[in-house]
Amino acid sequence: MESVIFYIFAAILLFAATMVITVRNPVRAALFLVLAFFTSAGIWLMLEAEFLAISLVLVYVGAVLVLFLFVVMMLDIDLAPLKEGFTRYLPLGIIVAALIVVEMIAVLNAPQFDISAAQATDGSNTKMLGRLLYTVYVYPFEIASVILTVAIVAAITLTLREHHRKLQDPAKQVMVKSADRLRMVDLRSKKQDGEGSES
Amino acid sequence: MLENYLPILLFIIIGIGFGVLPLLAGFVLGPRHPDSEKRSAYECGFEPFEDAHMKFDVRYYLVAILFIIFDLEIAFLFPWAIVLDEIGVFGLLAMFLFLGILVVGFIYEWKKGALEWE
Amino acid sequence: MIVLSDYLILAAILFSLSLAGIFLNRKNIIILLMCIELMLLAVNLNFIAFSHFLGDPAGQVFVFFILTVAAAEAAIGLAILVVLFRNLSTINVSDLDRLKG
Repeated sequence: MESVIFYIFAAILLFAATMVITVRNPVRAALFLVLAFFTSAGIWLMLEAEFLAISLVLVYVGAVLVLFLFVVMMLDIDLAPLKEGFTRYLPLGIIVAALIVVEMIAVLNAPQFDISAAQATDGSNTKMLGRLLYTVYVYPFEIASVILTVAIVAAITLTLREHHRKLQDPAKQVMVKSADRLRMVDLRSKKQDGEGSES
Repeated sequence: MLENYLPILLFIIIGIGFGVLPLLAGFVLGPRHPDSEKRSAYECGFEPFEDAHMKFDVRYYLVAILFIIFDLEIAFLFPWAIVLDEIGVFGLLAMFLFLGILVVGFIYEWKKGALEWE
Repeated sequence: MIVLSDYLILAAILFSLSLAGIFLNRKNIIILLMCIELMLLAVNLNFIAFSHFLGDPAGQVFVFFILTVAAAEAAIGLAILVVLFRNLSTINVSDLDRLKG
């Protein structure tokens, strides 16, 4: 039963990944990426990583892929030139990918990877994660917050445009003094000046 | 272990059924006799001039980025809340430092006006 | 029965698919970023599979950090992409051949 579910999930995952790299339309690619992430969340559930499966759906499907869709829709892109070279690089891509797969399978069929007896983890997965995360891995945890802050700052400096605001502030308009707007300049005319110098 | 996910499986099946069945029913049962007059634009209507693809404003994007960041922050809060009674004061301080660093970023975005929409 | 190597082979196939995606879509930065996300997903799958079969929860902690970093990376990468499109009005990689903005 479990192996049947695994193969179904694996087939959907690989199908979705193939579609991501081959479809023309980036919107469809993003939607297939959603499918890929959902399916791998299912596989992670089979591996008893419940919290991570949920946060994969929460963070990736809920936020990152929405961001991808936003960007795809924000830029109206002429798709035709972006696809050029697809057929030219197709043989090379397939050869490299197939080589990697063959090599990896050759390595991974070794008996030391033939572990099936999973250690039964007792209790909640979230609890186990929390126990490690906030004690042993507390420094990486703090660094994660620094990374997030850097991401905030970088995103704002990159995308925020300074608007030339033409807003009125009535309070300032009322409070204005004549001295702020009007400057009395002492101007004597040339003629008078000349007379003064003569006398 | 997998038996526990039976409700989720049922939920997914029923959810897909709810979405797909009406579409399928409409597809199968609805009468369709298209001809060229029917498919053309109605009376004063006209053919679309351009793509219906509409550009989004960049401001949505900024909001989405900030949402991701704080989404992750919340994801870090969940395991912390569950094990708080085990990790004690140390865990509390660690989380305060974490939140403090993120609050710096939050103040920055507030001061920059990234949250204002006009 | 599903053993560790099955999960690892699945992750390897996923990784090489996304690598092939980088070969095939060399012009479109958005698809390139998506392929990088898929690669990270394959790596995460490896981590979780090892963590499950070896009974060591540290792998899951790593995956959590990778999720964090990957989300920040996607956010900044897409922000750069938006700025790039605003300045050059293209996202074709072959047009991005100068460092000056």
